[in-house]
Amino acid sequence: MNESRIEGYARGLFEIARAEGTIDEVEDELFRFARLYENSDELRNALSDEQIPAAKRQAIVEDLLGGKVTSTTTQLISMVVGSGRARELPAIVDRLVARASSAKNLEVAEVRTAVSLTEDQQTRLAAALANATGKQVNLKVVVDPSVLGGVVATVGDTVIDGTVRTRIEQLKSRL
Amino acid sequence: MSLLAVLATAAGHDETQTPSKFWPEGYEMLFGIPASIIVFFLLWKFAGPVVRKGMAARTAKIQGELDAGEAARTDADAEAAQIRRAKGDIAAERARLLAEADAQATALLADGRQRLADELVELDARAQAEIAAATSRSGDELRAEIARLSAAAVDHVVTGSLDSATHQELIESFISKVGAGALS
Repeated sequence: MNESRIEGYARGLFEIARAEGTIDEVEDELFRFARLYENSDELRNALSDEQIPAAKRQAIVEDLLGGKVTSTTTQLISMVVGSGRARELPAIVDRLVARASSAKNLEVAEVRTAVSLTEDQQTRLAAALANATGKQVNLKVVVDPSVLGGVVATVGDTVIDGTVRTRIEQLKSRL
Repeated sequence: MSLLAVLATAAGHDETQTPSKFWPEGYEMLFGIPASIIVFFLLWKFAGPVVRKGMAARTAKIQGELDAGEAARTDADAEAAQIRRAKGDIAAERARLLAEADAQATALLADGRQRLADELVELDARAQAEIAAATSRSGDELRAEIARLSAAAVDHVVTGSLDSATHQELIESFISKVGAGALS
């Protein structure tokens, strides 16, 4: 999918969510689903398999998300999957999140940790990142066991890496 | 005894003896001398030219043989000189060939020694390089093995020590450092 089409889908989803008045929740849920989609081979194969009828793929989405996220999120993901663009879902969502953050004059800060963060930690981390980068941030937390421990935050082109994985890699490199 | 001897004995005279010890009887000289002259004249007149001619022919023949002998000797001398000269040439050629062979042998020997020396130098350099490479390789392999084992040990130790409290500590430490502006 080319950039203009990704941008088109992101703009469409953003406008729908904003019209629904649930943009904050939806973009957060979409972001989480996109990360789940990236990390799950099984889910990725199921939703992007052209051999599976679109209705069945949409049914998988609804079974997976029904009752757990807002109906708008479920419908938007179902629409993307039904149109055969599941492979581009993470890119579309990332663009949507960026657009939503930009609308609020925020910068997306993707934070990866090995364990989930508490609300208090997220609040303090957002403040710390705002202090460090000079920008107000829209914090998006991804639980990624591969970081082993610590936190890595990406704000625009700035990467602040405090993960155990990186420390170990540096130590291995020195060895 | 013959009749003449008998008569001589009877006459008291030895018929076998002449009156002179050197000269024959007179009548014998009377007939003998002219006869001898005639004979000698005839011999001189008729046999002389033949004898002289034969002698001249023999002389010529002998002279021819002498000349031929002289010519043969001259030829032999020339041939001997040629042989001696050839012998001299052969000796010179032999000497030249020996000198050339000596020079070639000397050059070959020197070339062989130089090549051997060069090969020794090259072999020595190659051996030194291989020793250095083997040493370096062994060092690299040892360092790689140590690094691999150390990395495995680090993985094992670090991942084994990451409990919930450590995770929280790491997160809090990160938040504190970022908040303080200490970007990593």
